[in-house]
Amino acid sequence: MSFMTTRNSPSNSTKYLKQCYKYAVNHTIAVFLLPIAISIIIQALRLGPEELLKLWRSLHFDPAHVLSISFLVILVANIYYMSRPRKVYLIDYACYLPPACYRTPYSTTLEHAKLVLKNEKVIDFQMRILERSGLGEETCLPPAVHYIPPNPTLDDGYAEAQTTIFATMDSLLKKTGLRPKDIDILVVNCSIFCPTPSLSAMIVNKYKLRSNIKSFNLGGMGCSASLISIDLARDLLQANPNSNAVVVSLEVITPNLYMGNERSMLVPNCLFRMGGAAILLSNRSQERKRAKYSLLHVVRTHKGADDRAFNCVRQVQDPEGIVGVSLSKDLMAVAGDALKTNITTIGPLVLPPSEQLLFALSFIGRKFINPKWKAYVPDFKEAFEHFCIHAGGRAVIDEMQKSLNLTAEQVEASRMTLHRFGNTSSSCLWYELSYIESKGRMKEGDRVWQIGVGSGFKCNSAVWKCMKTIKTPIDDAWATCIHRYPVHIPDVLNL
Amino acid sequence: MGEVAYISKSTAVSSKTVQLGKLYSLSVLDRLMENHHIRMVYYFRSSAGMVAGDLIRKLKESITEMLVCYPVVTGRLVRNDEGKWMVKSNDAGVRISEARAKGSVESWLQKVDREKELLLVYWESMLHKPYFWSTFYVQLTIFEEGGLAVGLSCSHLLSDPISASTFIRAWAEIALNGNILLPPFFHPLPPRRLPINRAQEKPNTHFINGYKSIIEGLNPVQAHNVKTLTLLFTDQIAQSCMGLAQPNTNMGPSPSPFQALAGLFWVCISRVRGERNGLMGLSICEDARKLIGLDKGFFGNCMVYNKVDGAGVEPNSISQAATAVGEAMVRMNYEGIMGLIEWLESSNGQSPPPSMDGDDLICINLEDSDLYSAPFDECLEPLHVSCYVEPVVGRGKVLVLPSPLGEGPMGRVVMVTLPEDEVVKLCEDDLIKRIFSPIILMRA
Repeated sequence: MSFMTTRNSPSNSTKYLKQCYKYAVNHTIAVFLLPIAISIIIQALRLGPEELLKLWRSLHFDPAHVLSISFLVILVANIYYMSRPRKVYLIDYACYLPPACYRTPYSTTLEHAKLVLKNEKVIDFQMRILERSGLGEETCLPPAVHYIPPNPTLDDGYAEAQTTIFATMDSLLKKTGLRPKDIDILVVNCSIFCPTPSLSAMIVNKYKLRSNIKSFNLGGMGCSASLISIDLARDLLQANPNSNAVVVSLEVITPNLYMGNERSMLVPNCLFRMGGAAILLSNRSQERKRAKYSLLHVVRTHKGADDRAFNCVRQVQDPEGIVGVSLSKDLMAVAGDALKTNITTIGPLVLPPSEQLLFALSFIGRKFINPKWKAYVPDFKEAFEHFCIHAGGRAVIDEMQKSLNLTAEQVEASRMTLHRFGNTSSSCLWYELSYIESKGRMKEGDRVWQIGVGSGFKCNSAVWKCMKTIKTPIDDAWATCIHRYPVHIPDVLNL
Repeated sequence: MGEVAYISKSTAVSSKTVQLGKLYSLSVLDRLMENHHIRMVYYFRSSAGMVAGDLIRKLKESITEMLVCYPVVTGRLVRNDEGKWMVKSNDAGVRISEARAKGSVESWLQKVDREKELLLVYWESMLHKPYFWSTFYVQLTIFEEGGLAVGLSCSHLLSDPISASTFIRAWAEIALNGNILLPPFFHPLPPRRLPINRAQEKPNTHFINGYKSIIEGLNPVQAHNVKTLTLLFTDQIAQSCMGLAQPNTNMGPSPSPFQALAGLFWVCISRVRGERNGLMGLSICEDARKLIGLDKGFFGNCMVYNKVDGAGVEPNSISQAATAVGEAMVRMNYEGIMGLIEWLESSNGQSPPPSMDGDDLICINLEDSDLYSAPFDECLEPLHVSCYVEPVVGRGKVLVLPSPLGEGPMGRVVMVTLPEDEVVKLCEDDLIKRIFSPIILMRA
């Protein structure tokens, strides 16, 4: 079909044709009803006012009939409104800004590697990854990793968790004016570091939360766990009326530091950095006025049933017995696959009918007519104004940009987050959202698509709608540096 | 007696990225000092409510802010095409380590000696790969029963003791107030103000001759087993020493405490060594910043060695010795120093001497440096500052430092580093023990 193959080089007439097609399909009902409405009005005008009045009287409306019909209407309306899911609002969120003394410039990284590691090949490999990583000079690592030599202990892990969580929670409480006693639901996700008592218990202890709090701690769920926590919080908010939920997403780097020589396990050292986010959700109707976003959809895709996907990000022990996270070479392919499955599910929920029809036709065509037809990638720019793609690494962002056919500006938030904060695991999406807001791009009615990918292999999406235009400047992690962004990130840094 | 346990070593970086790749060249005065390093220890008493963890965190956060002004310190040494050292600004940072010591800072100060004091300020000599070697090293030692010691060691290539003290002062100011009153500046030594009119003025070759003999001289004998003695000359004692140095007040302006103390120690140490032919050789080392038009913010080496003419000075006469020192100090003028700098620049290609100590007793004048006015935090009270210019080869070193606040404007702390047997004899010397009897702060 002509409009599919001309995607890459639209001429004016094709564009016009496409616009007409879109309008026709997206406003089908209007397109059908408009002529009918016009003809009714014309008929009514032709009949004249006396004829219309006679027609009205001939209908013989009985007061009892009228009353029962209106009761029925009210009853149906009530049932409808009560059975709708509760609206979940995102009131505000805070991202962690690590102190400047945790900054890790490239030269310090190289120097520490030279002083601590014996294996030159390992040092060279890590520096090569770093040069191509897309990270800047301001990313931060926790103090235990800065030591020469690093000797991370359990206490260091706790200290890092406390620093990140408490600073972020304090920031959230200040921004929202929330009192700790008003927190009804608490969900914390942190993948590798899972102490007992849990991090959620640590928060309950520090902030003296209520004894009947519904607290959850999600461990081991990887980099996409923030949206899993949001999903859990949403479900809990459906079950509990008039409640506040706080979601805390972070990753603790200290116990993750890999001191061995396996290449597949060294990559996380180069990419993961300190970061965290705390989000306040609510289903209270009075919060509607001050909420920033409302949650429209959460779509979760799990490819763990496939062995290749299950094994592509694994915590293992290397031949020397040192524990680390191993990334397989299939990672990009698996991520692309998971994304496609997620798109297939989320597409019908968010895409306008015009894109859905095209996608359906392409799907049917590839299945039944000719498998060699190029798959139609729906134009998600029709559905969303902003995109927050997990800043897992430069390759991940490149792959997603290609798969979704996005422009450079649409992945700018992801790339700049990777540059300024590094891969902060599950909290990346919140830094990216904060970037978009700090740039003054978030307007009322804008829809945001957050995509998280992580071990499992999972691809999770959340769709938010902006409730009010967000004015700059914003008091958040980007405040001191947003004026310097966006920056140009070279393909390979000259170290 | 307290032991020092090292907890951790890491790197403190600046809070902002500095201009990466910028190269700073070192001056001729810098390059001569390649084989020396400086070690300073600042002691503080802490108030009862101070939490060690909070204080360490505050110090680490404030050094991060302060290092933004010191790209030369956070950079690394590289050699240029001619094989001379330069500093490349690469943001690598400064080594910082943490330690714990037993006891309180007061009990430590009562029983410390040179060996123990140097445990509070770690120094590692240049690595095989200098590009990964930090030129500055900071150590924070918390005393378990109260008190803090901040140790700074640095390569003499980049800084003299004056600049090292302004580095610590800047850090303390940022920690206390959030800003630096006198930010450092890094640029080459200024060229001569006016062209030389060689026909008219007699060139001052005094400095050139002194430096020539050090650079071209034989390698000095390494002094084995040196010990350091620290003496506090209170305001009263210092004044009586100055009185002795100039018994006849009609002879001119009264000597500075440094002049009197230099004279005193010159006489005493010569006596202790058993010098028979008059006094031993003496060189004084003074700050030349003001003379060549630089203020204290100039970061680098700007202290000049000045040989004192001891001919005709009676071995036991402090007044004559002090007068000779005074004459040498007067001889330090703009012309002499500029001549020295120009001579050093013209005799390019010389490698630095193994030591600038030469064959003389070295007396370093740091009495004007500001060591006690900025205490990092309101809960800290400065107690004492020690300074070492290492290594000590040759005849020995005497450093004249200001005294802690409350000891009066003329009070001075003198640190004498000599071979072990000579230090012991010095303590027994009549002038030191009986006539002046300064307070012994640190036994040898």
